[in-house]
Amino acid sequence: MGFFSYLRSTVLSKVVMAITGAIIVLYVIVHTAGNLLIYLGRDTLNSYSAFLHSLGPILWIIRIILIVSAILHIITSIKLKFENWRSKPTKYAVKNYLKAKFTSRTMIWTGLMILAFVIYHLLHFTIRVTNPQHYYPEFYQPHNAVSSVILERFDVYRMVVLGFQNPLISIVYIIGVITVGFHLDHAIQSMFQTLGYNQKHYFPTIQKCSTGIAIIIALCLVSIPISVMLGFVGGGI
Amino acid sequence: MKLTLHIWRQKNSSEKGHFETYQLDNVIEDMSFLEMLDVLNEKLVLEGKEPIAFDHDCREGICGACSLTINGIPHGPEKATTTCQLHMRKFKDGDEIWIEPFRAKAFPVIKDLIVDRSAFDRIIQAGGFISVNTGQAPEANSILVPKQNAEKAMDAAQCIGCGACVAACPNGSAMLFVSAKVAHFAYLPQGQPERKLRVLKMVEQMQKEGFGNCSNMYECEAACPKEISVRNIALMFRDYLKASCSEEKLELVENE
Repeated sequence: MGFFSYLRSTVLSKVVMAITGAIIVLYVIVHTAGNLLIYLGRDTLNSYSAFLHSLGPILWIIRIILIVSAILHIITSIKLKFENWRSKPTKYAVKNYLKAKFTSRTMIWTGLMILAFVIYHLLHFTIRVTNPQHYYPEFYQPHNAVSSVILERFDVYRMVVLGFQNPLISIVYIIGVITVGFHLDHAIQSMFQTLGYNQKHYFPTIQKCSTGIAIIIALCLVSIPISVMLGFVGGGI
Repeated sequence: MKLTLHIWRQKNSSEKGHFETYQLDNVIEDMSFLEMLDVLNEKLVLEGKEPIAFDHDCREGICGACSLTINGIPHGPEKATTTCQLHMRKFKDGDEIWIEPFRAKAFPVIKDLIVDRSAFDRIIQAGGFISVNTGQAPEANSILVPKQNAEKAMDAAQCIGCGACVAACPNGSAMLFVSAKVAHFAYLPQGQPERKLRVLKMVEQMQKEGFGNCSNMYECEAACPKEISVRNIALMFRDYLKASCSEEKLELVENE
C-alpha cells in the first residue's frame, strides 16, 4: 500500500484534488494581494519582495508544499480525466447542457493552460531566464537608518514594469490569469462539495463566492499588465 | 403535428449503430413521448420494417424503466419528468427530434434505444440493503425517526434508478444514483449498523462497473426526473471518508 494507492479510489482522488487545490487557491489569493502592492510604488513592492526572500527556509517550505500540491493535483486530475474519457466512449450526436457550465466542463484544458502559464511565469519572474536583461539591483537607503548606509536589493518593480511594457508578454499574462479565473470559478465551490460541505442554507452562497473570488482575482491580476501598458504604473522607467 | 425524428438504430451490442430519420405526420399533442413512438412502431410494422426497441414499463413515471436521451437531455426537455410522462405538447409542429440511448460505458446498448442497466442492480447487491430478520412486522413506534431525517431519507428514496444521472454526466459517473441509495439508509436508524460497510462496498462496486468519476458539474441533478440533490453526493463523500478510516475498512482490506 504505497502513498499513491489513493488513486485507486474515486472518492479519495477527489479529496486529494480538493485539498491540493485548496492549498493552491490560498496561495493564489495571498500572491494576488502581494502583487497589488505594485500600486503602492516601487519601495513598497521591493521591500515586500526583500521580506519574502529574507524568510529563507520558511520560503522554501512554502515552495515545497506548493510544488508537491501542484504535482499531486496534476497527476490526479490526469488520471481522473483518462478514466472519465473511458467511461463515456460514445458522445451524443446532440448534447444540451442544463447545469454543467463552460468553466466546469473545461477544467482539464484550463488546468493544462495554467500549467504552461505557470512554467513560463516561473522562468520569467522567479528563475529569470527568459528576459535576464530586466534584472536590475536597486540601491536604497533604509527608512530607519541612523547613518547614510546604501543597501542593495532586487528591483522587482523595474523587472515587472519592463516585462509588461512588452505587449506580447502582457498578452500572455492576461490570457494566463483569465484562465486562472475560469478554473477557480468551478474549483472553489467544487472543493466544498468534495469535502462534503454542502447544505441548502449556505451552498448557494459558496457558489456565488466561488465565481466572485474568481472574477476578483482575475481582474486584480489583469489590471497590472494593463496599468503598465497604459503607463499608470512605472511610467518613469 | 408533423415531426422529423432522428432515431438511433443498433442491431445488437456488437454491431455499430447509426441514426435513421423518420417522418411522422399524425402526432397528437396529448400523446406521451412513448405513445408517439408506439404510433411510429405501428407504422413501421405495417410497412414491414423492424420496429424501434425502447424500454418502458409503468408509464406512470415511477418505475425507472423508460430512458431515452431526447435532444441531448436524458428524459427530454421537461424538468423533473420521465420520458413516459413527457407529452408531445412540449414540442412544436415541424420540430426535429434527436433520440439516442443513454450513453455510458457501463450502460452498453442491447438494441436500438435499450441499454443494459444491470450495473445498477449489482451496486444495490453490494450494499443497498439492510439486514433484518423477517417475521412479524415490528411495532411502528419502537424505532423513532426524527421528522427531518425521515424527509431527507424519503427525498433520497425517490430515486427510481433510471440512470439519467449517468446518461447526463459528461464523465458517465453514477455518483448521484449511488449517493441516493447511501443517503436513503444513512438518514434512518435502521441503516446505521451497516452504514460504513455499505458506502465502501457500493462505491467499490460502482468503480468496478466502469462508471466515471464525479467532477461536480451537477448535470446529474438537473437531469434527474426525481430531482435527487447532489447534497446526497456530499453526504456520501463524508461517509466514505469516515468509513475509510474505520475498522470496517480494515476488515474489508484483510478479507481481500
